[in-house]
Amino acid sequence: MSEETKTDEHVAFMSQMVNLDYKIVTSPVHRHFDEQMREGRIVGHKCPSCGLVYVPPKGFCPRCSVITNEDHEVEVKDTATVTSFTVVTPIQYQGQKERDEYVLANLLLDGADSSIGQQRIEGIPHDEVRMGMRVKAIWATPDERTEEGGGMRGWGLTSAVKHWEPSGEPDAPREQYQEHVL
Amino acid sequence: MLPMTDIAIVGYAQSPPTFGVQETETQMLFPAVNEALARANLTRADIGFMCSASCDYLSGAPFAFVQTLEVTGAWPPISESHVEMDGAWALYEAWVRLHHGDIDTAMVFASGITSRCDWREVSALQLDPYYLMPLWVDDISLAALQANALIESRKATERNFAEIAARIRGGDADEFLKEPYVVEPLRAHDTPTMSDGGAAIVLAVGDRARELCERPAWIAGIDHRSEAHYPGVRDLTISDAARIAGQQSGVGKGPIEVAELAAQFSHEELVLREALGLTDGTVVSPSGGALAANPVIATGLVRIGEAANQIIDGGRKRTLGHASAGPCLQQNLVCVLEGE
Amino acid sequence: MAAGPSWTLEFPYRRSLGPVVGEFFTGLRDGKVLGSRTKGGKVLVPPLEYDPETGEAVQDGFVEVAETGVVHNWAWVNEPLRKHPLDRPFAWALVRLDGADSSLLHAVDAPRDKVETGMRVKIRWREERKGHITDIECFEAV
Repeated sequence: MSEETKTDEHVAFMSQMVNLDYKIVTSPVHRHFDEQMREGRIVGHKCPSCGLVYVPPKGFCPRCSVITNEDHEVEVKDTATVTSFTVVTPIQYQGQKERDEYVLANLLLDGADSSIGQQRIEGIPHDEVRMGMRVKAIWATPDERTEEGGGMRGWGLTSAVKHWEPSGEPDAPREQYQEHVL
Repeated sequence: MLPMTDIAIVGYAQSPPTFGVQETETQMLFPAVNEALARANLTRADIGFMCSASCDYLSGAPFAFVQTLEVTGAWPPISESHVEMDGAWALYEAWVRLHHGDIDTAMVFASGITSRCDWREVSALQLDPYYLMPLWVDDISLAALQANALIESRKATERNFAEIAARIRGGDADEFLKEPYVVEPLRAHDTPTMSDGGAAIVLAVGDRARELCERPAWIAGIDHRSEAHYPGVRDLTISDAARIAGQQSGVGKGPIEVAELAAQFSHEELVLREALGLTDGTVVSPSGGALAANPVIATGLVRIGEAANQIIDGGRKRTLGHASAGPCLQQNLVCVLEGE
Repeated sequence: MAAGPSWTLEFPYRRSLGPVVGEFFTGLRDGKVLGSRTKGGKVLVPPLEYDPETGEAVQDGFVEVAETGVVHNWAWVNEPLRKHPLDRPFAWALVRLDGADSSLLHAVDAPRDKVETGMRVKIRWREERKGHITDIECFEAV
């Protein structure tokens, strides 16, 4: 009998560990995006119907329901505008690797029409980060750009871009990014 | 009880069943949704209500289905709902929704990718979390208990199971019976061929249905029932839930020419035939049923779609599609379809 | 599941048990099996909170049943999955414990040629029990 359990105490809870394994499958369109990222190129698909550019590419346009492929590939720049951001205070849950506060932002890359979330901003005090701020990508060295494989789930960018820093350009006017806050 | 509205299936398509699909779930759904709409002579913009079906446990991510909503072209924003279960229940929800009378079309779609998880382990997660899940008793084990109950009550033999499998898969029952058990008394051919797949069905009301489709498959009755969950309090040789769902949806009101049954295991076909009162005159699961390809979440919706196509394209007058969920046919949905 | 890179999703769940399941698990921890009684007098083991036939709440109080019983149904597992209760071939069984009117689903550790409907079995209690369905390690032949 476990020493922790008093024999006259009613059992009110049960513990159950649930663990399930999942296979990581990266779709061909995302694998291609990942390969391009390791070459230092950020690519998207431009819808042949509405002309919107989605980064990362989805293989279709979610507005027009048109299928897209490599024929619709375009390259976008590694400079962007912050459309929204948050300062994350990391809760120290089991497995948490972050210790200090950090900034995550939604970015509208130059040439793209869909914003990318979960992008880390560094090189600036947190209270100076603002919507409209211009940033540039800080790339991992070619050696550091590992085969992402499982990380590329179709959102965010691969680890080829480590984080973003202010580019020093004047802030973008609100009209340019206000439709891309999310 | 809602007054019965004339609601029909006017378009259905499924993505070609495969296993180990490389594309995203949304990409996998596109052909099914596009073709179902094309058959119904509609575009996404014409649809009044969308209802999707998926299961987060297949992909290991909460709200995983949100990404597949991109197949609906949801701009401007659409009216949609979702069920975390087989698409047949999404169809039921759409059917109820159409009774409100303010819209006359709806679309339902379902997707299931079973190749990225260990389905037998995942299946244990649908069970009672106190008494069953901690034992990690899987779907094949539970089905085997039902199969054995049939054998021991002398309602069926292993040969009966093999003959059903041979009919569905092609092959020889005698050869099948030489194979080893997976969980006795079930052999590999008695268990479903797991697959990845998606399906979509378009529904329309009354005259709108007649405009869109030459021969709509009218939903003459649809009902779903569930019985107790714990196997130890059930008689596993019968399916009261399927029987009542069949009665309530009007199976007995006329001859059923084709019955698409979501029998994932060969013996389940026997239980369902009895519960639904199907005669030898009924062709059962000519599509191969759930035994031949089981994408789980799309499985029941595909059955209803295949039964509908028998009317739309096949000239049949009266068919039924069946879906199930839970251990040993705990929950059953029956949809009776009629052609004019 | 096919080969290739994979990841494990893991959550430690803590579930409240309520008065019925909690009492049953307390009993298991203490080495006894309790059932609930329906209004109609049926003894349900494991106890359910509601009568599965009528939907009514079960009566207050619990009935102690034996740790021995009869196999009512079984299915033999030749190749156990990694998370099954036993790591050698075993039978799933629906066991009707003496005094109960419903069956408990669990594993039976016995050779294949001993497993049959009607065989008598008894609980093999886990040495360290905590109030969990696995306090019953499995059943074994009597």
